Amino acid sequence: MSLRTRELGFLVPALLLGMLGLAAGASARADELQAGPWQTALGVAMVFVVMHAVLRMRAPLSDPYLVPIMAALTGIGLAMLYRIDPGLAGDQAIWVTLGGIVFCAVIVFMPDHRVLERYRYIIGLTAVMLLVFTMAFGTEVNGSRLWIEIGGGQRVQLGELAKVLMVIFLAGYLREKREVLAIPTQRRLGMNLPAPRHLAPILVFWGAALAAVVVLNDFGTALLFFGVFLAMLYLATGRALYVGLGITLFAAGSLFIWAAVPRIGARVDSWLHPFTDPQGGGYQMVQSLYALADGGVVGPGFGRALLVTEGGTPRIPALETDFIFSAVSNDLGYVGAIGVMLLYVLLMARGFAIATAARDGFSKLLAGGLTAVVGLQAFIIIGGVVRLVPLTGVTLPFMSYGGSSVVVNFGIAALLLVISNRSRQGLVEAVRGVPAT
Amino acid sequence: MNRSIRALYLTLAAGFAVLVLMLGYWQVIAAGELDERADNPYTLEKQRLVDRGRIISADKVILAESVVYREKGQKYYRRYYPQGALAAQVVGYATAREGSTGLEQQYNRYLAGSYGTGAILDRLRDETKDGADIRLTLDTRVQKTAEALISGRKGAVVAIEPKTGKVLAVASSPGFDLNQVASDFASIRKESGAPLLNRATGGLYPPGSTFKVVTATAALGSGTWSPSSTFDDKGVYVVDGKPIYNSGKAKYGLHNLTDALTFSINTTFAQIGDRLGGRTMGREMTRFGFARPVEIDLPAGEVAVSGRYRDGKLLPNEQRDSDSARIAIGQENLQVTPLQMAMVAGAIANSGRMMRPYLVRRVITRDGVVVKQQRPQEVGSVSSAYIASEVGRMMGSVVSEGTGTEAGLAGLSVAGKTGTAETGDPERNQAWFIGYAPADDPKVAVAVVIEDTSGTGGTEAAPVAGEVMRTALSVGPVQGEPSA
Repeated sequence: MSLRTRELGFLVPALLLGMLGLAAGASARADELQAGPWQTALGVAMVFVVMHAVLRMRAPLSDPYLVPIMAALTGIGLAMLYRIDPGLAGDQAIWVTLGGIVFCAVIVFMPDHRVLERYRYIIGLTAVMLLVFTMAFGTEVNGSRLWIEIGGGQRVQLGELAKVLMVIFLAGYLREKREVLAIPTQRRLGMNLPAPRHLAPILVFWGAALAAVVVLNDFGTALLFFGVFLAMLYLATGRALYVGLGITLFAAGSLFIWAAVPRIGARVDSWLHPFTDPQGGGYQMVQSLYALADGGVVGPGFGRALLVTEGGTPRIPALETDFIFSAVSNDLGYVGAIGVMLLYVLLMARGFAIATAARDGFSKLLAGGLTAVVGLQAFIIIGGVVRLVPLTGVTLPFMSYGGSSVVVNFGIAALLLVISNRSRQGLVEAVRGVPAT
Repeated sequence: MNRSIRALYLTLAAGFAVLVLMLGYWQVIAAGELDERADNPYTLEKQRLVDRGRIISADKVILAESVVYREKGQKYYRRYYPQGALAAQVVGYATAREGSTGLEQQYNRYLAGSYGTGAILDRLRDETKDGADIRLTLDTRVQKTAEALISGRKGAVVAIEPKTGKVLAVASSPGFDLNQVASDFASIRKESGAPLLNRATGGLYPPGSTFKVVTATAALGSGTWSPSSTFDDKGVYVVDGKPIYNSGKAKYGLHNLTDALTFSINTTFAQIGDRLGGRTMGREMTRFGFARPVEIDLPAGEVAVSGRYRDGKLLPNEQRDSDSARIAIGQENLQVTPLQMAMVAGAIANSGRMMRPYLVRRVITRDGVVVKQQRPQEVGSVSSAYIASEVGRMMGSVVSEGTGTEAGLAGLSVAGKTGTAETGDPERNQAWFIGYAPADDPKVAVAVVIEDTSGTGGTEAAPVAGEVMRTALSVGPVQGEPSA
């Protein structure tokens, strides 16, 4: 069986899962058996089928599991959005279509991702500019300044794109510097460290991440950027010391900011003690915890939990974005929520497998970095929901409502598949004795 | 680099394992606790889905039930109280917005069906169990009589069965319509006279002369006096330089202890209290259950503790420097509930044995399985049976020839004691009567308090007590339900 046929074999049940979820949500809403918004469901299914077809033609040797996992997450996300507000699911379907277009464009127009390595500094600079632009001109939504207003009342999160660009830059930069970073040249404070000029980037990133906490007022975004940086630094050098050092620096800096900036102190307090002010600062968290408790072990099923009031407003603010995981846990219970988390672990397994199979340092770093960004982002926002980390403004990849997030994550998946296709192609050609192009 | 990739993957996967554990904490372990929080909208919403159990009186009158209605195809239940205002403070309400009170709160676990070991399994299966019914000791006929007699006035009536502790009636006036709680709670709260307060269990009043029953028990128990011990009343008794007078500044001259109780002679009881001292008086109060919460099956917040209060704080019964002369006549910051005084009368009626009062006889499922059953339980002994019978005989004389004749019942002997606590305003006496009947084989003990009256215990409270006792005796034990 070819890789693509295997992909199709997994894609069909994954798509059916989403469709059934939508139908179940619609049936719960109407209290009678309904097919649900089948046009939306079919449209999204078509997007995935087209993606599959494009892969069949242009990247036939790419990993066959990534697209079905994406489809399952997207489908469950759509079903959740539909049960919160049918209008949201309609919008999201458009974003998924847009994401599909970006996905296909990457596959078709970038058969070899290694061109990116050449432009690493331009890409890195663009990422920095996007972030600075957001810091300077961003609009604050729900207390975090992550959005840029564009025409027609639409907002984009440039940080989502900057995130990917940063991973590409780091993959190129660290490939170049990995030797000097990996070899210690001096001993300070009982630690073997490389030359100070090679350490500088760590400190720059540390400073930038903390600045982001203060300016963007978002701990999650800063944690994500810094975490991905550390992950890639570790991939490149294999030295856990950097990770330890980085985490220590970040924790120390965060503690300092928590003590020094009252606005952020208040946020952290409502994270640590949501029940002291359940109607004020702790409201969102407390309502979310009630939703988790209500979900219990198995949950009442798609659309059956009391997540939305009779008037149609969600009980938890930002339910469709930051708190979509609470909705999953409430409707589908602990079992369903574990299922969704396993999908993310599977996604990471495939991503890191692609990184392992890649045949050059840049590809390995790029695939590993992109996988880490998705995995870490899911970890941070779910961690926020279960109160492991302070509440954050990052989205749950493939599931949260929002165009920027969906499009960027589809792009990430496309990049991973290009890398995967490339490395297997190289392998096939090497076996056949044909030189890799 | 592949080794690092593997390590990174395992680290992130371990991170997700931590998330799974944390989520499990909220969804399974802490879930029950979160569900029970008062501001949890899910719990309030889910209450509407539960077919809550009924509250049924001893004479099989339904006081509370759930009525089904449909909304958007979903079955919901709404609480309905067929008797409206009857025993409102005892039955209580259970609403999402206003919280819950009374038996509705105390027996919520049973009424809402979340009792027993099955509750956790139900949680896992996400099933809701029908609530169980609660069957009361309370008899609506006695309750109705009591409520009718005090309606329009502020006051309370408690009637118990002295041999078992079964509560037959708990009336508190003014009352309110339980069905109005869901529709218009604001106007209930605005009404004067605090209708939501259960005066019978939560209202604190100076006991006045009814407390002389406690003093008389202590006096006989000391062995110093008998009912025929003689005293000479000069109309005043001075303690700590301050005089204690009789009601209406009366002078009784030579009399015995029975006369002293019959005519409520303050000087004699003050003298007895003085000679007994704070320790002995305090010990007797402890035996009668003062300064200790009454163990009745109502929410703890609705049952006040009787005893001596200073600046709103409860004092211990045995306080060395206490003015035992004034305590003996029911003064000195004594604050008591009608429930407590009904238990005092009940203990004398039951040969000195005080029974735990209870309102719910049994909790029973729709298909007749008894989930919980309450049986009579002795909480303590206030005196020997002989002394109790002597005190009872003296209380009989109060009703036959003394201040409590208005409580008398044709053809039956009644024992009792009146009390009139003066507030300084002659229009605002607190009129008391405690007692029991029949005197030779007590079936009912009562306590009645009427607030803000120009009358006395003898003129205001005694007739109410008499009528309530007459009703209680006429209805008898409910058929097919042998008492005790």
